Amino acid sequence: MTVVGRAWNRLSLPGKLFFTLAPLLLVTTIAVIAILVIFGQLIVDFLAANLPIVRFVVAVTAVLLMSVPTAFLIIYMEMKVIALMNLRLGPDRVGPYGSLLSVVHGLKVLMKEDFTPTGVDSIVFTLAPVVVYLASVMSLLVIPFAPGLFGQDLNVGLLYFFAVGGLSVVGLLMAGWSSFNKYSLLGGLRSAAQIISYEIPLTLSVVGVLILAGTMSLNQIVLDQRGSFLDWFAFKQPLGLLIFFIAATAEANRTPFDLTEADSEIVAGFATEYSGMRFGFFFFAEYVNVFIMSALIVSLFFGGWTAPFDWPWPVHIELNPGGLGIGLLILLAVAPVVGTLVLAAPFWVARSSMPAWQALIIGFVLLNLLIGLGLFALAFLGWEWVVGLFWFLGKTYGFVFTFVWMRGTLPRVRIDQLMGFAWKWLLPASLLNLFVTAGAVVVLGR
Amino acid sequence: MATSAPISRRRASADDPRVILEEQVGVFEPVPPFPPRTEREAEFYTLGDGEMFLNMGPQHPSTHGVLRVVVKINGEVVTDLDPVLGYLHRGVEKLCENSDYHQAICYLDPLEYVSALFCEWPAVMAFEKLMDVTVPRRAEYIRVLSGELLRIASHALFMGWMALDLGGLTPILWSFIERDEIVEMLGALTGARMLFNYYRIGGVNGDLNHEFMSRLGDWMTRATEQHDANVRLLNENEIFVRRMRDLGRVDRETALRMCMTGPNLRATGVPFDVRRSHPYSVYPELDFDIPTRDEGDCLARYLLRLDEVKQSLRIIDQCLNQMPDGPVMAKLPRLLRPRPGRAYAAVESPRGQYANYAISDGTDQPFRLRIHDPSFIHLQSVGLLMPGHLIADTMAVMASLDPIMGGVDK
Repeated sequence: MTVVGRAWNRLSLPGKLFFTLAPLLLVTTIAVIAILVIFGQLIVDFLAANLPIVRFVVAVTAVLLMSVPTAFLIIYMEMKVIALMNLRLGPDRVGPYGSLLSVVHGLKVLMKEDFTPTGVDSIVFTLAPVVVYLASVMSLLVIPFAPGLFGQDLNVGLLYFFAVGGLSVVGLLMAGWSSFNKYSLLGGLRSAAQIISYEIPLTLSVVGVLILAGTMSLNQIVLDQRGSFLDWFAFKQPLGLLIFFIAATAEANRTPFDLTEADSEIVAGFATEYSGMRFGFFFFAEYVNVFIMSALIVSLFFGGWTAPFDWPWPVHIELNPGGLGIGLLILLAVAPVVGTLVLAAPFWVARSSMPAWQALIIGFVLLNLLIGLGLFALAFLGWEWVVGLFWFLGKTYGFVFTFVWMRGTLPRVRIDQLMGFAWKWLLPASLLNLFVTAGAVVVLGR
Repeated sequence: MATSAPISRRRASADDPRVILEEQVGVFEPVPPFPPRTEREAEFYTLGDGEMFLNMGPQHPSTHGVLRVVVKINGEVVTDLDPVLGYLHRGVEKLCENSDYHQAICYLDPLEYVSALFCEWPAVMAFEKLMDVTVPRRAEYIRVLSGELLRIASHALFMGWMALDLGGLTPILWSFIERDEIVEMLGALTGARMLFNYYRIGGVNGDLNHEFMSRLGDWMTRATEQHDANVRLLNENEIFVRRMRDLGRVDRETALRMCMTGPNLRATGVPFDVRRSHPYSVYPELDFDIPTRDEGDCLARYLLRLDEVKQSLRIIDQCLNQMPDGPVMAKLPRLLRPRPGRAYAAVESPRGQYANYAISDGTDQPFRLRIHDPSFIHLQSVGLLMPGHLIADTMAVMASLDPIMGGVDK
């Protein structure tokens, strides 16, 4: 063994990682800089020439990246909220209040063996989770998060949403059929029956909103509800909202309509034979679906990113760092130290048993919190899209909480009750809603 | 290595149903016995048009232990089914024949592991009849007290399981709080949380102690309130009630013909309760009702158990008020050699009539100890209750019968 080999073996794991990644990073950085220097102008010209495509690629990447932390957050929320409803503690070990547990779950499914059982149709088996995940992530493209913050402003946004969202049933059916397992087959067929049945009331209940707004673009629908909360479509379309909420629960396969993965009946439904990251895709897709359905309810019926009352926002704060000059530099250097000391002092004085370093840590954390809150307040007052995102995410997570709450509260319905409810009650009710809305628009005008 | 084919793949002949099934639908089918032992077996393992087998268990999430049910389904509708028992068979009856009378009792505990005292009780009663032992009255009251506590714990577990099998996540954790408090206080009394070995021939193993009494008093002040809180979680839930009503309905004659006892029989309107019909212990001195319901469906079986919990609370209250002082153990010789003879004793366990039949041949070991377990008896009616329902309902019907597989397989 050479000297290098012995030295390598003596390194600990972080050391090995460092000595592997550092040279790689160095080489990559140099290469990127070189490419930018040589071809930079060409690249900029190319991007400028194809701006819509660039915008699309950026939006898709952003949405794909966003879906994972969203799923993590909702999984953690579900674990913690249901635990509290069950009078348990829930996750409390990894991270503050166990909040990193879902991230650890994600890492776990990544590292597990990617297992393909005997007898499966391996191509379909591999593609199924991808189809399901893509179907949910692509639906995120048309959702308006804030003014100016959306993937694509399609004029047929809602139609695109239903079309792409309906693709997920293909993935579930593929998973159920290819798994070579009767529980999977039953789960896949159940999901096909359920999702296709509930698509109809889901789509019909929205037509009332479409008539009122006169457009299918989600952006325009949100803008139509601008003003106070009395302008929300929830008050003009209460029946539509109810139908949409119930059908959305069924579309997202959530309790009480989670028949496709009913663990006490058909083990895990279509996901029975899946393990590792393939199962992870199904799992993430489910929670991204919950987010999407909540976001859609908010956008269609609860005003999207608009504030529930006339917010006195136009406070324009001009940030001009150049104007502060040397003073800004001094402020940046001095303010953290002084702030930490000032915030640490009360703790150190009040608790004589507390060592100085602990007080300093508390002071530093408090300072960071204060700065973070201050920056958010500034952004909230200064930038419209931060306000929009704030209201949008607030309302959306309110509905995500409702979905989680229902999971902790309700038992599961039976398949015949499920289908009967869709065809006997929801469909006539949505048709009634459609006729009443259309009649009212004809008689009274919009 | 491995040149010979595994036994399960051995092909007997062209008309072997295993071969036919393998060619028709794949290798993971339930393997029927060949040649079929009965006509019923031959009929069951022949697939009709559009039917398929679904093998539920023994590792299915909600078969309450290791029951295997081979279900024949047409779409989602169960057309026929075949319960397969024996995955938990330990030969308890035979073990009891090779141990003396004291040792036999602790073999009986793990049969109904959620209500173990009711397995010991008929055994000690039968042995006491064989030996003409009179149990002190205080010991009888302690037996009734601990037994009724365990009945509440068992019914609490049933409530939670019922909800879990219908997809509700929360009730099982709420009712486990109730059960855990009872089990902890019985642990303080007997020294064990599940497998107590507390009833002895001629009495019980130790008087009421301070910790048990303080825990019991603490719990009794809020028992009714806690029970009502658990009940409110589900009782008026529209989804729950709609799924349970008219499900697995069994009428009075059928229930009697299938030898049902306990809550499953009382849910059909027959007020048969061993505590009243064949009184034992101090039950004649206690005042309680036998709740009955007439519907005979899963909802009736569920609600009836909730009513029973209230009666058990009444009994516990009376036991605490009427409990006399005195010894808790009769004077017995060290080596028990009853005269040759036979004795039968039955108690009302949370699942029904739990009975033991003991034969003595004059030695210090029982010649034969027959265990009559209500879970086993109730399982024979699943073939009657389930066909025609959906797959989702098989689990609900199973849960409403409340079988414990430890007692079924013995």
